Amino acid sequence: MKKIKYTARIKRYNPEEDRSYYQDFEVEVEDSLTVLELLMYIKDKIDPTLTFRAFCRSAICGSCAMIINNRAGLACKIQAKDKIKNGVIKIEPLKTLKPIRDLVVDQEPAFEKLKKIKPYLEPDPKVVPDNLKSESLVLPEEFARYDKQTDCILCMACYGQCNALKGDSEYLGPFQLTKVFRFIMDTRDGVDVEERIKLAEDHGIWECVQCQMCFAACPKGISSCDDILELRRIAKDVGEENIATRRAKFWFATVFETGQIDKLHLPEVAFSDEKGKKIRENMEKEFKQRGLREDEFGPKPFEGIEKFRNFIKKIEKEL
Amino acid sequence: MKKIGIYPGCCFQGADIHNYDITTQFLEHMGVEGVLLDRAACCGGGVIDETNKKIVYGLNARNIALAEEKGVDLYTPCNTCYMIIAKTKLALDSDPELKKKINEILAEEGLEYKGTAKIYHTLNLIRDFVGLDEYKKKIKRQISGVKVAPYYGCHVLAPNEVAIDDPENPTILKEVLEPLGVEVVEGYKDEDTCCGYHARFTEPEQKERLAIKPLDGAKEAGADIVATPCPLCHKAMDGYDEPILQVTQLINVACGSTPEEAGINLNKTEVKLSL
Ligand code: SF4
Ligand code: SF4
Ligand code: FES
Repeated sequence: MKKIKYTARIKRYNPEEDRSYYQDFEVEVEDSLTVLELLMYIKDKIDPTLTFRAFCRSAICGSCAMIINNRAGLACKIQAKDKIKNGVIKIEPLKTLKPIRDLVVDQEPAFEKLKKIKPYLEPDPKVVPDNLKSESLVLPEEFARYDKQTDCILCMACYGQCNALKGDSEYLGPFQLTKVFRFIMDTRDGVDVEERIKLAEDHGIWECVQCQMCFAACPKGISSCDDILELRRIAKDVGEENIATRRAKFWFATVFETGQIDKLHLPEVAFSDEKGKKIRENMEKEFKQRGLREDEFGPKPFEGIEKFRNFIKKIEKEL
Repeated sequence: MKKIGIYPGCCFQGADIHNYDITTQFLEHMGVEGVLLDRAACCGGGVIDETNKKIVYGLNARNIALAEEKGVDLYTPCNTCYMIIAKTKLALDSDPELKKKINEILAEEGLEYKGTAKIYHTLNLIRDFVGLDEYKKKIKRQISGVKVAPYYGCHVLAPNEVAIDDPENPTILKEVLEPLGVEVVEGYKDEDTCCGYHARFTEPEQKERLAIKPLDGAKEAGADIVATPCPLCHKAMDGYDEPILQVTQLINVACGSTPEEAGINLNKTEVKLSL
């Protein structure tokens, strides 16, 4: 086995002094180590006070999520040598949770949020039999709708670099919202969809900025950002009326009409109040000042738009 | 002259119509002929999924097919259009069944998604289509004495599958900015925090809370201007204390356009460039 030399730059936190700092560890180790094995090596050979959380070492218990080279991931799943940049590998605790010591963060606030969304199935008596002898059947195509989402190991890598949380520390979080989606899709669940959507709305689905960082972080390939879009779709379809659902309906309608979103009227429709109207009036004023012709204010259907509309209709129906 | 298909997203429209001029000017400076994909439609913007996500595949298969019909690659300056179109391409190229079904419907418009067109964004266009050495040769004057903080925005670095550079330690923006003569200020607070654009009409306050963070970080680090490749980040973050410009605006100026031609006077927060 080949040995390689590099620097492990670890962000540490000392709770006694309430102080965070970076410490460099020079190592010469086998090139086959995972980041977790690297941390164990440092703890064993250099500094026994180095603190981190881990258990299964096989990407299943969800204990060892941290920020490795600016991106969240599982220490036990990532090869250290792939992450060495200019001789350095940078290891930090998850960003949106408070450190307890070194790389160990306090997961409680994120678990509290998970509890808020009813992360369990309330059996629907119409589907789930009330005796232990008969089975509750789920068809493969029904399970396929949330199969991926059941792989979540609650590691919080997604949560640890979520942008919505940087804007609102009370934001529910990606894996929590994926959980809402997972139970809405479960045919055995008896909770009303409206109720589940309400739980996902409070500091939830509308605050997501669709940055894709949760998907980039997830060791299981779960795309919470896409689940959130699905939750928004469901919210709209169960009749939720708000700035976001008005925007979504208008967006599709104008794209269907012209091929493009009508950004001039979007604020007015979405806000649906005086403020939105003012935004449109100001835009029109600005356009005139800039010498734009009226027909340049918004999108016009392109040539062959009928064929385009047919295309969209067919995609909706047949794909 | 090399040709490329210009994909018209919503960043060329209405209040942002000048972005089209910025883009065509930029291509001209690069010695690339831009061919407008005139029947292209909205990429979905991460919003049409809220109607039906299959439509997003359809829209972008069609957008790419329009480029292929003209025998060109597809170029969009917008981070979000880039990410969504590139994601669709990945889905279509890895799922023959999906590609076949969409192609059957596309055939009625006389179009076909083949998978031959590449998807470009300003940053990989400079690196891979024009070439960094060629790019440097196009620069006619230096924008000196200005400290510029690069701001990538999210969708050129995530998801990893479509990232245009190493998503953990990207360098391409620095490589594009440095030849312009500016001083690059990296490693500032919140440089990887999202601009919040996509919350503008779902939770407007969330956008306000986020947009200011990278700007404040850049200001604290002593940057005079923030530079982003993305017209949506620009829109979300213009109007605060610290000014922000699009990278292509700076490139255009360095390649000889006047600041006015480069649309710099249209900024809400005023920018002064010393030439
Ligand atoms: S896409 Fe939404 S949920 Fe995912 S990390 Fe970004 S803000 Fe958070
Ligand atoms: S969604 Fe993925 S990243 Fe988030 S907690 Fe679950 S397994 Fe971890
Ligand atoms: S130690 Fe269990 S997931 Fe890494």
